[in-house]
Amino acid sequence: MAEFSLPRNSRIQPGKHFPASEGAKRTRTFRIYRWDPDTSDNPRMDTYEVDLATCGPMVLDALLKIKNEIDATLTLRRSCREGICGSCAMNIDGTNTLACITAIDDCKAGDVSIHPLPHMPVVKDLVPDLTHFYAQHASIKPWLQTKSPAPPDRERLQSREDRARLDGLYECILCACCSTACPSYWWNADRYLGPAILLQAYRWIVDSRDEATGERLDELEDPFKLYRCHTIMNCTRTCPKGLNPAKAIANIKKLLVERRG
Amino acid sequence: MTALRTPLKTALALGSAKHGVHHFLVQRITAVALLLLGLWFVWLVLRLPGLDYAGAHALLAEPCNALLMALFVIAVFWHAQLGLQVVIEDYVHSHGWQLVLQVAIRLLCILGAAAGVLAVLRIALGR
Amino acid sequence: MAGTAYKIQEHKYDIVVVGAGGAGLRATMGLAATGLSTACVTKVFPTRSHTVAAQGGISAALGNMGHDDWRFHFYDTVKGGDWLGDQDAIEYMCKHAPAAVIELEHFGVPFSRTEEGRIYQRPFGGMTTDYGKGVAQRTCAAADRTGHAILHTLYQQALKHHAQFYIEYFALDLIFDQDGACRGVLALDLNEGTLHLFRAHGVVIATGGYGRAYFSCTSAHTCTGDGGGLVLRAGLPLQDMEFVQFHPTGIYGAGCLITEGVRGEGGFLTNSKGERFMERYAPNAKDLASRDVVSRAMTIEIREGRGVGEHHDHIFLNLQHLGADTLHEKLPGISESARIFAGVDVTKQPIPVLPTVHYNMGGIPTNYHGEVVRKVGDDPDRIVEGLYSIGEAACVSVHGGNRLGSNSLLDLVVFGRAVAQRCAETIKPDTPHKPLPASACDEALTRLDGLRNAKGSLPTAQIRLDMQRTMQADAAVFRTEKTLQEGCAKMDKVFASFADVRVADRSLVWNSDLIETYELNNLLYNAVATIHSAEQRHESRGAHAREDYPERDDVNWMKHTLVSVDANGKCSFDYRPVHTNTLTSDVETVPPKKRVY
Repeated sequence: MAEFSLPRNSRIQPGKHFPASEGAKRTRTFRIYRWDPDTSDNPRMDTYEVDLATCGPMVLDALLKIKNEIDATLTLRRSCREGICGSCAMNIDGTNTLACITAIDDCKAGDVSIHPLPHMPVVKDLVPDLTHFYAQHASIKPWLQTKSPAPPDRERLQSREDRARLDGLYECILCACCSTACPSYWWNADRYLGPAILLQAYRWIVDSRDEATGERLDELEDPFKLYRCHTIMNCTRTCPKGLNPAKAIANIKKLLVERRG
Repeated sequence: MTALRTPLKTALALGSAKHGVHHFLVQRITAVALLLLGLWFVWLVLRLPGLDYAGAHALLAEPCNALLMALFVIAVFWHAQLGLQVVIEDYVHSHGWQLVLQVAIRLLCILGAAAGVLAVLRIALGR
Repeated sequence: MAGTAYKIQEHKYDIVVVGAGGAGLRATMGLAATGLSTACVTKVFPTRSHTVAAQGGISAALGNMGHDDWRFHFYDTVKGGDWLGDQDAIEYMCKHAPAAVIELEHFGVPFSRTEEGRIYQRPFGGMTTDYGKGVAQRTCAAADRTGHAILHTLYQQALKHHAQFYIEYFALDLIFDQDGACRGVLALDLNEGTLHLFRAHGVVIATGGYGRAYFSCTSAHTCTGDGGGLVLRAGLPLQDMEFVQFHPTGIYGAGCLITEGVRGEGGFLTNSKGERFMERYAPNAKDLASRDVVSRAMTIEIREGRGVGEHHDHIFLNLQHLGADTLHEKLPGISESARIFAGVDVTKQPIPVLPTVHYNMGGIPTNYHGEVVRKVGDDPDRIVEGLYSIGEAACVSVHGGNRLGSNSLLDLVVFGRAVAQRCAETIKPDTPHKPLPASACDEALTRLDGLRNAKGSLPTAQIRLDMQRTMQADAAVFRTEKTLQEGCAKMDKVFASFADVRVADRSLVWNSDLIETYELNNLLYNAVATIHSAEQRHESRGAHAREDYPERDDVNWMKHTLVSVDANGKCSFDYRPVHTNTLTSDVETVPPKKRVY
């Protein structure tokens, strides 16, 4: 059966509290999931009071301020800090998003609670293990496949209309926010490709230069790989880049019907 | 040990079953059928309170109504089977239970549909 | 061996690439395709590398949008670099550019298109036709997400060629044999906290720049000059470290990049009087002058009190007149960035911008094959066996004193490809590995043990902030003897303070505190090298603007600075001549002349 409750060693305990330094003007409390694999302790929620008067506007700024000034052991992935690399995907106030483009002021009133991406194995603190996600990406052969040789001395031609069909698809940053927001992916990640990877698959299916459309559709026509999508739409709701994976999946389903009659 | 397999091996698993469109299509066709037949069924049910047993029997025995009722019963059980199949695929991960439940649901739905159609036939043919 | 006995897992490959940005991935896929056994060791998942943030495009004289020739591109690059670039390497890059971009398209990069279905090209700063006479449309673009499109495509190609990645492995130190040839790299696996020795016939360093040595930069948190640190600690010099590019349009406050493509598409800068001041500084090219010129002009405007905003400390970038359709089609990414980080609706308001540290022209000196070179006696181009470098980590030097926008993505793919070809020519697959001296890893392990248990009084973040503030204040757009000497003294102190660093995290798995401390150490090496190099170069050239030496001095300073940094942070200098010769007779050397736009 799918598991609906956390195993005993994953239940979250209350954690340490780090009060704001004296003279802090505008404090906000961040409740952050912590788990260290080097110890046998259960995960815990540590709370940190951060002075927003000396902090940048984004949740990532607050996390880095905590790491730099309060608790250097706090562990998270981060890189570009402008929403293009996809490193700092995490669950903030119940929504999967990128910490670097989520303004603290836009978080719900009260404490800001931060967890790693849901339903993924946790490596440490806010760092999830994305190995399987990346392997699923590799499994759909996400590269241009052609049979006709490319012209030797110039680019393959593509009309502006055909190129426009890639908009809303090629921008995906593989942050995994959508896939880990999908209940179907929670229950069946081992076999369901999930919205991010299906969006990537569709990106190649609609590329006018790609000649493996049929093979790609063959590979996707599977009760689990594709049809675990039940149009729940969490993916589209949560995508921090404003993309629409649900629509990409619907389009794949449409093409599969189309080619039968 | 799965830990000694490459991640790609796990992701590729058994490959594509290369089916699923049929399920997808039939589920939608039965849904549309149920929507239309459902309207007729509501009309039928609304007429029943004013009728005694014999009246109701006669109403259902009309060829048009009997036909629609048979179709309705088939669509209900067909659609239910497809839906329950998905629910079990979603949540039951043991292969043994999966098989037992899928077979059981299929048989039950066939049984239900067959019984329903037989009943309609009996009424329609006046036996 | 010091302290605890560390267990090291050994791997043998023909070649190891460190870094999986544009250059590292291009090299990795090229090497994998040639049949050499290749490992790519990277501290972040490949598509998280900072190439992903490149926006405007990649230059190549395809001539899709009007008359163009790679020789014009060559001329522009030499001039843009203020005659510090090696003209043989520049010829190699510009000549191979069209093929490199076409190859990218064949790999599947979703370039924007013209009506004829060709790759769309936009104007960019310093890119001209007919040797400075017209404006060239040379920069091939995928909207304003070209770096993202290229990086993802290169990763896909690496997958296609079954390249072997070691993801979230941090390179600690290079490993050399008795003859001084580089034979591998020692790395830490973040996910398990284990040590791995990658033995190889050669190591390709593609670790990117060190923007994070500054307080305000467009660079990612991961741009920490790890390659420079690795090389300096190995006793090899870096080149032209004083040349740090300030991008004219970083978002005020956040520092996030707004592409030069905005100005390429018709955007312009204004001061508090609403004046298009670039017309005064660069009468021909105006807002499309090279980046050093625009950054200096903006700094002067602000300094003379014509900055905008409450504190008159920034400049406006106007693109409202471009219209919502153009913005949506050509510049969707920066429209989003401006909204998120500056709260600006670009269809209605200008974006507040400021020159922001963006790119390091300096780096590991190499020839145009990507082989690392050093000066030995009279030979300025002696190859360091087994060591290669490409991309922003390297100094080929194609960018000279100042890089032109969109030449960076080109640099990555051209030299990523070149190094793969060079390795294929010089390394035979499955050559047996020569034995390493037993002590090969000792120094690296001593350092690891020291940092893992560092119990000083200064947290990593504190030392990093001291460094960033110093570099920001004293190695800025304009430099003088006074500020540089103060800056050198301060940086030396900050460097020395690293001995007192404290690492709080003692765990093994994903110890990001330890990794940040390693990164800080790398940054410190790069930072002292930069500020001391700037102090000793008594001229103004490209991005290095000395107010006390406002003119370029070709007689004394048309040469590459070589800087070595010892374990105490002490810098020593040497010089290499600039290659003024071209590679072939296809193009003539551009003799130095006054640089005006």
